[in-house]
Amino acid sequence: MSKKNRKSIAASLATATCSLLGNTVTEPVQAQEEPGWDFNTALLYYSEGDGRVEDISVNFLANRYFVDDRTLSLGFAFDTLTGATPIGAIPFSGPQTFTTPSGASTFTTPADVIPLDPSFLDTRYALSVDWEQPLGRLFTMSAGLSASFEHDYDHFGANFNLSRDFNKKNTNVSLGVAISQDDLTPVGGAPIPFAPMLDVDDLSNKRGDESKDVIDIVLGVTQVINRNMLVKVNYSFSDSSGYLNDPYKLLSLVDAVTGDPVPRLPAPGAVGPLHEYRFESRPDSRTKHSLYGQAKYYMSGKVLDASYRFMTDDWGIDSHTLDLRFRWPIRDSSYLEPHFRFYSQSHADFYRVSLVDGAPSPTYASADYRLGEFDAITVGLKYGWKLAAGNEMSARIEFYKQDGDAPGNQLIGNQLTRDMYPGLDAIIAQFSYRFGR
Amino acid sequence: MGSPCELLTQVDDEALARKLLDVVAAEVWRVEDKFSRYLPGNIIAKINNSNGESVEVDDETADLIDFAATLYRLSDGMFDISSGVLREVWTFDGSDRLPSKEAVSSILPRVGWQKTSWNRPHFGLAPGMEIDLGGLGKEYAVDRAAAHVTALTAASSLVNFGGDLVAAGSPSKTAGWQVGIDATEEGSGRAGHLIRLKHGGLATSGNARRYLQKDGVRYSHILNPVSGWPIEGAPRSVTVAADTCTQAGMLATLAILQGEGAETFLEEQDIRYWCLR
Repeated sequence: MSKKNRKSIAASLATATCSLLGNTVTEPVQAQEEPGWDFNTALLYYSEGDGRVEDISVNFLANRYFVDDRTLSLGFAFDTLTGATPIGAIPFSGPQTFTTPSGASTFTTPADVIPLDPSFLDTRYALSVDWEQPLGRLFTMSAGLSASFEHDYDHFGANFNLSRDFNKKNTNVSLGVAISQDDLTPVGGAPIPFAPMLDVDDLSNKRGDESKDVIDIVLGVTQVINRNMLVKVNYSFSDSSGYLNDPYKLLSLVDAVTGDPVPRLPAPGAVGPLHEYRFESRPDSRTKHSLYGQAKYYMSGKVLDASYRFMTDDWGIDSHTLDLRFRWPIRDSSYLEPHFRFYSQSHADFYRVSLVDGAPSPTYASADYRLGEFDAITVGLKYGWKLAAGNEMSARIEFYKQDGDAPGNQLIGNQLTRDMYPGLDAIIAQFSYRFGR
Repeated sequence: MGSPCELLTQVDDEALARKLLDVVAAEVWRVEDKFSRYLPGNIIAKINNSNGESVEVDDETADLIDFAATLYRLSDGMFDISSGVLREVWTFDGSDRLPSKEAVSSILPRVGWQKTSWNRPHFGLAPGMEIDLGGLGKEYAVDRAAAHVTALTAASSLVNFGGDLVAAGSPSKTAGWQVGIDATEEGSGRAGHLIRLKHGGLATSGNARRYLQKDGVRYSHILNPVSGWPIEGAPRSVTVAADTCTQAGMLATLAILQGEGAETFLEEQDIRYWCLR
């Protein structure tokens, strides 16, 4: 169409239509896009069994759509955690006594089991707000804020993402940045790194509140390969600095020959631990690099989603994650989705089973099993179905099994006869309901 | 019309409601009987079998031919009601069976509005040529049926023939009609967009299910009448809101005929539209 008469086409068409229809129309069109709402709710139950962590969480996400593809998202999550988690001390043939984080009392763990901290109880509220809109025809931007609150931890964050389409929307490149500032107010105060666990009411090994900052940058490319397949590749960079310790975790101080915890006597008239423990110490910065690749393949109604992530950081941890999902539609309105995930990580450089009495103190040390060497497998199944009104429900169940090893060269004496790495079996059940107008 | 046709109306009187239904049904059948290329014995059949002889047409047919001529001019030759014969070599069934270049070239001599003669009320076609009003017949029928409704009542009504529709009645007295436009070609059950239509027409051009695909290239079913081949880079569907269903439908079609430039064209016309790529 020649450029000069382009703009008048609608007007010319209006005139021509008037002639055709005999000028019966006197009112102009009134058509307005209605903003719509979309709600996604989920209830999740997580349980590690054996008296360990149990979590019930409720998630709620509301999307409000405005004209011209602008969206406001509001999220709210509520978690309640109970149960116990490994404290970092090694198991041994007798009971062990620890002072609680508040310093107000002690608790005792039985012989021959990995000691768990039973005061692991928390309620967390999280909020998020995000705004997304197109910028011109090819760019999309989103910006958001997030915050979460627990009795000993607050998080505040902001994020921004910009993406652009190329090649008739077959290629999308995006860049995202997220920053967060977290404040820690551990019960009793954050322990001084490597300080010993002391008697009840002695908080001289603790100092006040701490904080940490995190910045995450993600650069991604999504490419449509053909009608059935699309591929995504991401590079992520993450840098954390500040207080990166877990304030409730410690290491056992062990005898250089037997490998058993070194005994300790509380002060006269005081109650306290009966063995020596040292609070952990991690570096005050952590830099991570990840490379992620994902492919989605559509095969006449079924979808295979496969992804792999490699992560490496300056704590010495390398990890691999392989994730496979297969969505299998059943008739028109429901689907089954089996899920398989394999995860493997190497231990942090400063991961220690225990600290050896008399040996020079390492710069950093932690016995947190999450920094150890382990593999984990998740196997799950999800079933989803559409309701008559176009709303969707889904239910999923997953089994998680994590198993690891303490580094062989770190085990001494009686430690060699025991299972020093706490494995983990967990079950996850989730129900979700999505509805909108 | 090849689609479900419905009338939605808000009147208190059941007898009036039934009469409105009768009037709309009668009008859509009348338009279909008179202008469908599938029916023998109507004016279109007479023109298509005229074998080079000029045919005298009535006022309504003449108005439609005038309109088609205007569309031919406004679209620089892309909207051409004589291009229907190309369907003899093109079957859009989702397969990879494209016609040969020779097959397409052999049909092209029978296509071209410039080869027709129009001297109202006499219309002439070269032998072997045909006209097909399928590209504007449904929208025209919608507006015609709506005119019959408004002649009988000022109540808020929606005439909907398979997704090409018009809202009639006084916009100040109505909350309007909620019309959903699918977000994806597979009809997710949730409207990608929800429009509140108080007055005016809505029409969609394009069909996400009719296409051919070969060697990674998707060929939409909208053909370029000059080359005989599908328009390249067209959106899968375009929905437009305009004063009448006819205008909405023609703007949507003209946009698709722009191929890659569909969105630019729609932006320039300063109208409400929804494009699915």
